[in-house]
Amino acid sequence: MKIEYSIKLRRERLENCIIRFLRITGILFFIIMVAFPFYWMIVSSLRPLEEIVMNPANLGLDIGKIDFKAYYDVLFDHGFLRYISNSIYVSAITVALSLVLATVGGYAVTRLRFRGRAFMSYSILIIYMFPAIVLVIPLYVIFSYMGLRDSIHVLILVYLAQTLPVALYMLMSYFKTLPVEMEHAGLMDGCTRFGVIWRIIIPLSAPALASVALYTFMIAWNEFLFAFMFLDTPDKFTISRGVVQLAGSVHLSKQLVMAASVMVTIPILILFLFFERHLVRGMTAGAMKG
Amino acid sequence: MASLTLKGIGKRFGRVTALSGVDLHVKDGEFCVLLGPSGCGKSTLLNVIAGLESQDEGSVRLDGHSIDRLTPRDRDMAMVFQSYALYPHMTVAKNLGFGLRMRGVPKATIRKKVLTTAGLLGIDDLLNRKPRELSGGQRQRVAMGRALVRRPKLFLLDEPLSNLDARLRANVRLELKQLHKKIETTIVYVTHDQVEAMTLGERVVVMRDGQVRQTGRPETIYSFPVDTFVATFIGSPEMNLYKGVIFKERKRSVFQGRGFFLELGNPRIDRMEGEVEIGVRAEDVKIGKENSTSPSVEVEMISDVGSEKYIHARLGQEHLTLRVPKDASFRTGEIIYITIDSARLHIFEKGRRLVTTNVEEV
Repeated sequence: MKIEYSIKLRRERLENCIIRFLRITGILFFIIMVAFPFYWMIVSSLRPLEEIVMNPANLGLDIGKIDFKAYYDVLFDHGFLRYISNSIYVSAITVALSLVLATVGGYAVTRLRFRGRAFMSYSILIIYMFPAIVLVIPLYVIFSYMGLRDSIHVLILVYLAQTLPVALYMLMSYFKTLPVEMEHAGLMDGCTRFGVIWRIIIPLSAPALASVALYTFMIAWNEFLFAFMFLDTPDKFTISRGVVQLAGSVHLSKQLVMAASVMVTIPILILFLFFERHLVRGMTAGAMKG
Repeated sequence: MASLTLKGIGKRFGRVTALSGVDLHVKDGEFCVLLGPSGCGKSTLLNVIAGLESQDEGSVRLDGHSIDRLTPRDRDMAMVFQSYALYPHMTVAKNLGFGLRMRGVPKATIRKKVLTTAGLLGIDDLLNRKPRELSGGQRQRVAMGRALVRRPKLFLLDEPLSNLDARLRANVRLELKQLHKKIETTIVYVTHDQVEAMTLGERVVVMRDGQVRQTGRPETIYSFPVDTFVATFIGSPEMNLYKGVIFKERKRSVFQGRGFFLELGNPRIDRMEGEVEIGVRAEDVKIGKENSTSPSVEVEMISDVGSEKYIHARLGQEHLTLRVPKDASFRTGEIIYITIDSARLHIFEKGRRLVTTNVEEV
């Protein structure tokens, strides 16, 4: 009995050791894969040019020698101020439109009864059967014919088509979790349908709406393929398109590309940290029976 | 304050018939209870009255005017939901005032009415809390308050007490009855709990399978159920009900059940012979002395509820429940003799009450 117990104990210790080892290796692996390039990117963007040229393998950052010149150059000499504002414009409008359309559409599909409702809810994700690369060529041709191609607003249209299905899907599944009695209560209290959506559904869906906004923003901000294909005029470039432009230019400077890349990444990071607080669940606590 | 009339309400969900041919008249200021097992259509009926569901046929009239085409917003009714359905993102005060706010009532008036209602329900000290900070009983009060504050024409309550624990439920039930006396408003109340229905209702509507089985005052429904469903659904413990035949022997009617005979004395039955079901409530079975005509039963189990005891006994091949005073002492296995007053018998033929039995007493 006692022996058996000690064997079990030893086995458990061994298991714990293995698990700890695997966990540490896993974390290290991801740090190396994700954090290291990120670190390298930031460090490279902050080191003065001559230092990079003289000592390219140096990973350390000398605090005294931090140099924001690369950022300044990228923003003002290479047009990134323009690219960033273009990107903000495109992403913000995509987010706004996708929130409005997904809220109204998602509500209709979950709550209202109409012909073709079931088909609607199943078919929403069908667009993901077509990879972007398959769509980009015909869209390029069509928009070229229509003379609309080199336009930021066409880009918004494409991004909306890309993000709306997932946005709808996310909101639909969230709306389904909201108790229908609460809407009935709203209707009895004198709300119209839109009143119910505005005063009850939207406040309660804040976490889901935040997720949708974050997701849509990320897609629109990071998107490259369509921006690359559609935009010709540098004035209309979005930031991801701008980075490629910069990287492909003759006077390629690693430091500038790194600074530009940091500028692509940072807003997403900030947004994520900001929204993360709102992504917590449990908004409806207390509505229903105890 | 209004009277409500339903005429031939029918509602289908796909192939399922939720309601069919429902007629009902609720008088001004009346407390009407819709009672039935779950899935009988009572909540659907309430939603139809509220305008949250539209009926497929029939019409809803409020004070004689058809309101079929009105939205819930324009019907001027208030509803209390089983789940309370409070707005979790609003404080209690906002919850109470929401309906008034939606109707464009000035802010000062809203504040006054909210305070009055909160005082009436004893929730004045909770006004700044959110629903998640309230106990079940407090949430229930807020849900009631939200309906009360507007003084609508009609109150609809959908099992408002079913989520409270037993003691609280009894208290709130009493309060609700007093409240109704105080505000004298028309109430339609849905429940599956017959005790609630009997204690609260001035008129009880027993429903099953989307149809109204019986409408009447609680005591009428208890004493003269129109069919075996109502007879067994109302009353606790359940009415004893036996299948058998009535035949005549030396000018006296005798009921033969499974393994026992019951002499019927002189019940006023036209039809003295044939297959029937007879029912008797536990309190109408009396313990008698041994003689040739009184049936004997064997005590199987005794349940003591404190104020009285119920004896579960074997009568022939059937079971019989009878009520005895709390100080009566019986042992399991004991043989006792019972008498049943024929006037207290409920006789059903093909599930329907034989009209002639007890009809004079209605």
